[in-house]
Amino acid sequence: MKYRFLTYIKRDFNIWSILTLAIIGFISVPIFTVLLQLFEGPGETWTHIVENLLADYTLNSVILILGCSFLTLIFGVSSAWIVSRYNFVFRKQIEWLLIVPLAIPSYITAYTYAGFFDYGGTFQYVTKSIGFGALRFDIMTLSGLIFILSISTYPYVYLSSRAVFLYQSARLIEASKVLGASERKTFFKIVLPIARPAIVGGLILVIMEVLNDYGAAQYYGVNTFTTGIFRAWFSLEEPSTAIYLSAILLIVVFICIGLERLQRGSKNFAFSLKNGGDLHRLTISNKKRFILYLIVGFPIVFGFILPCLQLVYWSYLTFYSVASKDFFITALQSLGIAFLAALLTTLLALLSLYFPNWNRLSVLKKSSRVAVLGYAMPGAIIAIGVMIPLLSVDKWLISVFKIHLNLDIGFVINGTILLLLYAYSIRFLAVAFNPIEAGQLKLNKSLTEVSQLLGKGKLKSFLNVELPLLKFSITGAFILVFVDIMKELPLTLILKPYNLNTLAVKAYEYASDELIMEAALPSLCIIATGIIPVILLNRLILK
Amino acid sequence: MKNTYLVLLCAIVFSACKNDTSNQSQTENETGEIAKEVTVYTHRHYPSDQELFAKFEKETGIKVNVVNAKADELIQKMTQEGEQSPADVLITVDAGRLVRAKDKNLLQSIDSELLNKRVPSNLRDEDNQWFALTKRARVIAYALDRVTPVQLSTYENLAADTWKSKILVRSSGNIYNQSLMASIIAHNGEEVAKTWAEKVVLNMTRLPKGNDRDQIKAVVAGEGDLAIVNTYYIGKLLNSSDAAEVKAGEGIGIFFPNQEGRGTHINISGAGVAKYAPNKENAIKFIEFLASKESQEVFAKANYEYPVNAEVEPSELLQSWGTFKEDQLSLSELGRNNKKAVILFDEAGWK
Repeated sequence: MKYRFLTYIKRDFNIWSILTLAIIGFISVPIFTVLLQLFEGPGETWTHIVENLLADYTLNSVILILGCSFLTLIFGVSSAWIVSRYNFVFRKQIEWLLIVPLAIPSYITAYTYAGFFDYGGTFQYVTKSIGFGALRFDIMTLSGLIFILSISTYPYVYLSSRAVFLYQSARLIEASKVLGASERKTFFKIVLPIARPAIVGGLILVIMEVLNDYGAAQYYGVNTFTTGIFRAWFSLEEPSTAIYLSAILLIVVFICIGLERLQRGSKNFAFSLKNGGDLHRLTISNKKRFILYLIVGFPIVFGFILPCLQLVYWSYLTFYSVASKDFFITALQSLGIAFLAALLTTLLALLSLYFPNWNRLSVLKKSSRVAVLGYAMPGAIIAIGVMIPLLSVDKWLISVFKIHLNLDIGFVINGTILLLLYAYSIRFLAVAFNPIEAGQLKLNKSLTEVSQLLGKGKLKSFLNVELPLLKFSITGAFILVFVDIMKELPLTLILKPYNLNTLAVKAYEYASDELIMEAALPSLCIIATGIIPVILLNRLILK
Repeated sequence: MKNTYLVLLCAIVFSACKNDTSNQSQTENETGEIAKEVTVYTHRHYPSDQELFAKFEKETGIKVNVVNAKADELIQKMTQEGEQSPADVLITVDAGRLVRAKDKNLLQSIDSELLNKRVPSNLRDEDNQWFALTKRARVIAYALDRVTPVQLSTYENLAADTWKSKILVRSSGNIYNQSLMASIIAHNGEEVAKTWAEKVVLNMTRLPKGNDRDQIKAVVAGEGDLAIVNTYYIGKLLNSSDAAEVKAGEGIGIFFPNQEGRGTHINISGAGVAKYAPNKENAIKFIEFLASKESQEVFAKANYEYPVNAEVEPSELLQSWGTFKEDQLSLSELGRNNKKAVILFDEAGWK
């Protein structure tokens, strides 16, 4: 048995196997650095946490996940269905407006809403002017947090479900209608089951974002697993306990991912190669149209327009104290870093998708799954996972140069942009990996096979056949990562090089100093730089 | 093709082996000219600081490299970087973190006459490993229309039944609450401190959330009568560009607790020289500069903080709140009791 195993390895081992191993190593080093810390056991406050806090953390996190899943499904699926199925004025604009809440970091939305409903805030001003008196509404609660996180993450569900509605279901819907099924029955019996894997895929992204949120939950006073990790790490001074908590979190996420794989099963979704034709959009009566506008308008107004208006007002109040030459440079730096890191991450995603495919060892075929791990870990934990191994590399380099060349080189990787880029690419690999993988699954395998049969190598077939076909998925992946990096905070805070700043860090600095109004201008810039790529993304999907 | 891999592999293995033999002799330092720079790891990110850094560069020709992050993360970073850390100076916004840095062996003792003169002894470390730069007091903000200062006395008094559902305070995750709790543990012992926290929790009008400004606004909005806040944020509120915030700041009175006894709890923002500072001389010069009369005046004016240098008066706004007796407790105690404080908060159910 053992002997046979070895012959298999000998037979199937090729250059791609080596490269697969290399890339797997590259991705998993930070993750396993963290996991290895698990064997050192939790700190002494572990029992204290279990006795006093764990129940609360778990309960809040579970409620948060359930609540957000429910709301994002409602917002995301309903609006996706409406823009794919019906024809109405401004439909094109609404299609991309539904994505833009993605450009606002959820902690900024949280701060904005708190300010909106605050004493002396806009809401009070409005109710007072209407004549209701200065009403107060407390948004800073668990249900408020659910609303905030849902309204800023539902576009993940919207995007993934719309893609299916547009391309996969046209023929089936027509068939269903021809056979006499009602619109409602068609939706629930045909459309939804087909779209389920994609919807759940989007939902997983939502859940991970929700689990990862720190800023909003902390400000709203809701104790979740992630705020607990920070508390154990920094307030209780026990990194080992923090890592223990994040390990539990990781397990939860793995279960989620596992469930998704399970429900997707071995279903083949390749039939959807744009052969469905375009869905014929229905035109509807005025009365019904009003309701549709309400449904798609709600997430746009509350997820984007309202926070933006509040931010514009605050920026107007604080413009002169915030805007400066330095601020402009910071904005340019943010763009540069995000662009570079997104490029790198997309490339890494492609490599980690294709290398295992090209290698013949079946053991390694599924190894690209590690790509999604990074997204499940809080940014701060990844930062540590990246720092520990690279510091030893750096120290080794220093000693080598010292001995052989008598040069004092200092840190080559640490404190430079390299470290930051590495950490970003690990953190957001899943964001790039999933859309590219989805695109690749939809590709007709025979195209590549034909190319290879005609004598082209794997790399060449990929470059000439698959890459052009995957163009849109890859650009989409790039854009998603770009927007995410523009918003990223904890990891950037820990790893950013000296004398370098990003807009998100700038906004955070103001906000953490309770200068929330001053944080508005950098936030608006993040949003503005996020919207343009998001609109591009929308165009890509429609093509 | 296969040979190329072999050569590559050999090269990697070879260089890896080389490393093992060379590890011992990396401690000695290069004796070059003194670099004209200083690297500052700081939790402070105020315009006043940037102004001072620029002034320091201009006066001394020493370039200031700034790394901004939360103190916790900076400490974590310094720990990981070890001897190779480029950090020269660590600046935090509370004493607890400085004590933590000292405990982790990240700072070094500094012998500076100027600093000993400029910073009072209770505001610096016993071993001169860190020095306070500014002070903030944790006071009680009360609703002017519902509370008279006569009703107020001490932090301990906040646990009294008269304040049932009247108190607003932020989460125990906040370092200023942790420091306050640490000082109560130091003065009254753990048992008393825990009972105090439990009773204050019962007196809260709502679950802790938001920041110090939010507590003040909630008082003015009538949600509660008292808020435990930092003087620094009241200053910020009163000078906000939003008229509603200024109004909120004007709606509260400021009470300095424990004036009959040990004095009002203060916390500091302070700096220390990193243990492995590559530019130690520059680092000392830098901290001396920040404690100088001129710099302290900038801190006092621009940032609503109390200066530590006795030669400098607080800003007019701060003076208008009156002078007060400070808790003379050694700030190192705050760091020492910090973890205990967090655990007691958890046990008392202070979120």
